Amino acid sequence: MNTARQTSANWIPLPDLRPRVCGIVRSVESDDEEALRLKALGVCAGRRVELVRRGDPVILKVFGTRLGLSAALASRVKVEICTPANCLTLNAENP
Amino acid sequence: MSNCCHDDEVTDESGRRPGADDGRGRITIAPLRKAITIALIGNPNAGKTTLFNALTGLRARTANFPGTTIERKLGRLVIGEVNVMLMDLPGLYSLDSGAPEEKVAGDALRGRLAEQRAPDAVMVVVDATNLERNLFLVSQVLELNKPVIVALTMMDVAARDGLRIDVAALRKELGCAVTAVSGRDGTGIEELKAEIVRLIPSGPMAAGHPARASAFPGCAGCSGCAFQARYEWTEKISTRVLDARASRRPVWTDRLDRVFTHPVGGVIVFTAVMLSLFALIFWVAKIPMDLIDHWFAAMGIWAGGMIPRGDLQSLIVNGVIGGVGGILVFLPQICILFFALSLLEDTGYLARAAFVMDKVMRRFGLPGKAFVPLLSAHACAIPAVMATRVIANPRDRLVTILIAPLMTCSARIPVYAMVTALIFPASPIKAALVFTGAYATGVAAALGAALVFRRTILPGGSKPLIMELPQYRVPGLRTALLHTLDRAKVFVKQAGTIILLVSVTLWALSYYPKSAAPPAAAALNVRAAAAEQAGRIQQAADLRAQADRFTRQFALQHSFAGKIGRVIEPVIKPLGYDWQIGIGIISSFAAREVIVSTLSVVYGVGGNGAHGSLYATLRNATRSDGTPIFDVATCASLLVFYILAAQCLSTTAVIRRETNGWKWPLFQIAYMTGLAYVAALIVYQTLRHLA
Repeated sequence: MNTARQTSANWIPLPDLRPRVCGIVRSVESDDEEALRLKALGVCAGRRVELVRRGDPVILKVFGTRLGLSAALASRVKVEICTPANCLTLNAENP
Repeated sequence: MSNCCHDDEVTDESGRRPGADDGRGRITIAPLRKAITIALIGNPNAGKTTLFNALTGLRARTANFPGTTIERKLGRLVIGEVNVMLMDLPGLYSLDSGAPEEKVAGDALRGRLAEQRAPDAVMVVVDATNLERNLFLVSQVLELNKPVIVALTMMDVAARDGLRIDVAALRKELGCAVTAVSGRDGTGIEELKAEIVRLIPSGPMAAGHPARASAFPGCAGCSGCAFQARYEWTEKISTRVLDARASRRPVWTDRLDRVFTHPVGGVIVFTAVMLSLFALIFWVAKIPMDLIDHWFAAMGIWAGGMIPRGDLQSLIVNGVIGGVGGILVFLPQICILFFALSLLEDTGYLARAAFVMDKVMRRFGLPGKAFVPLLSAHACAIPAVMATRVIANPRDRLVTILIAPLMTCSARIPVYAMVTALIFPASPIKAALVFTGAYATGVAAALGAALVFRRTILPGGSKPLIMELPQYRVPGLRTALLHTLDRAKVFVKQAGTIILLVSVTLWALSYYPKSAAPPAAAALNVRAAAAEQAGRIQQAADLRAQADRFTRQFALQHSFAGKIGRVIEPVIKPLGYDWQIGIGIISSFAAREVIVSTLSVVYGVGGNGAHGSLYATLRNATRSDGTPIFDVATCASLLVFYILAAQCLSTTAVIRRETNGWKWPLFQIAYMTGLAYVAALIVYQTLRHLA
């Protein structure tokens, strides 16, 4: 895990991600039922996501699937924009 | 008994007498058959239902998990000498992450439910187009330490999207059986069955299966985010078995979604789809419904001719045939709605519809998925209540169930028609306005009630939207047909029994105590006999019909229903109703449209109850002081009462099933009747003082 090395400065709320730009989920705020459901669907730290449609609700792509997500919930997800560097880092760390 | 399989209960018995003749001249060598219970589990939209249907076909039954409203389906299949009981669990993304269906599924898998043994093995349906997320559930299932079979579905779609999966490698990585199947065309079903048979040991079982917890080392000591650790494991496996170098974006899903989820375009498409759906359940269903009505009327006449006049005839014709007809008449709407919904869901559009409507519905504390049930309620509340199963959150679902019966269903139309004909006999435009107003009142009352419930008994907003939008696909007819059949069976079996019981009770209330024919009728019959002797056949028939009308009117007025009508008269008097309308309200407790025919009997309407003569008779009906009963104030009050009152026993019975108890259906009757009473009171008193 390299989250410790990352500064939270370049984390942005998921709805602010530009469409079709890959982002890495860094945190999902709080641990209530919705957060658990989000995580079970794959919106969980370390996963790569992409915004397909902005607005409310937003459409999010995680793995191969699309998720419809209310904007309020989406803004609880903090992502970091994918750069070749951090994506590669993640890939390299996978044994 | 091993931890994997046990002897079939049936052959257990014959096992005590080995070598017994099985009745067909063959000698059974007991125990011949092995029985095994397999739980079927998988993500929603992964093709679980299609696979379940492909394996079990029509040999399935649906019931709720004990003490819950979560459904499970049990299906049997026989593979060679193995009896397999397949238990279909609700579609879910993970076990134990808090949602009620996940808790039930987890309990079922661990054998913690009453009346249900733990399954011997687990079959996990995995969507090949989405391996990484689907393996998440697999990782949790593997930890149960039961034999696991992974059924890999959607391989054709995966191939189309340029994804290549190495099934042998996946088998090795997971350490369990993996078979590629297609429930649609039957590919791989035989292999899957062979895997099931392989679960059964030939001899006595060794001490359990090799523990597979080691197959998933990621979570042994994870204290932080368990999800993250699991997803890293699924990512690792997925990169090893999946060749996605040639992968393409699903072009069609992208294109369609650009329109279907668009803030404007999406609403236009949604409106068109919903209008078509409504037309189907409102107008198309009308044809078979009229046919059923007609058949049961004909059957009633036929039975009336077969059985001699008396209590039994009346019970069979009015109580039983009338009751069964009253149940079956809803079937066309239920079937058409669920067939259409199943197709829509299978295409992937239904998720988009909920997505588009989510923001609007949320203002009333309802989820986007509540829209389809609430729209369906305008045809009939019964399929609407059954359709609320698409709403996962129990509270959101309950609010939707409670308000759905306020929508103007087709059974209210005869009542609206009667009232508008009484107030505005010669003005179609005003009549149309009354109809529109009645529909709008129903919608407004429902949404208002939703807001009130959200601030009182079921507090909090609806759950924020988190919903998968699956890839668009061509829907499966077989799945839709089986789903329709399943819904129809559930309705007839579960709701039908209660409805029949109450229908017979209501019949008894209006039939007993029996009273002798009134003197007026006797006199008419004497005159009819005289006319007959004089050869005036037509006049005799008319006189007899009139006598019959008097008798029925007299009998109903002096029945228990009539007595109850008199008892409740002081209560309904402030609404402008007399005891005769009271009889109508009581008799229409089970089905609101009955009031029209009851009123025609109570007021002794002639001419086979044709509507023209009914309206004329009602218009001329007067109170004891000589003023007309059906003045504008009373009619308006009656209209408002029938818009809001919960007079549909079938709905009550379905709500009982869907909420698993009598608490909510009784509450629904109480709140709707209370609302109807207060609203009708205000309308009547206001109009009377204005006039």
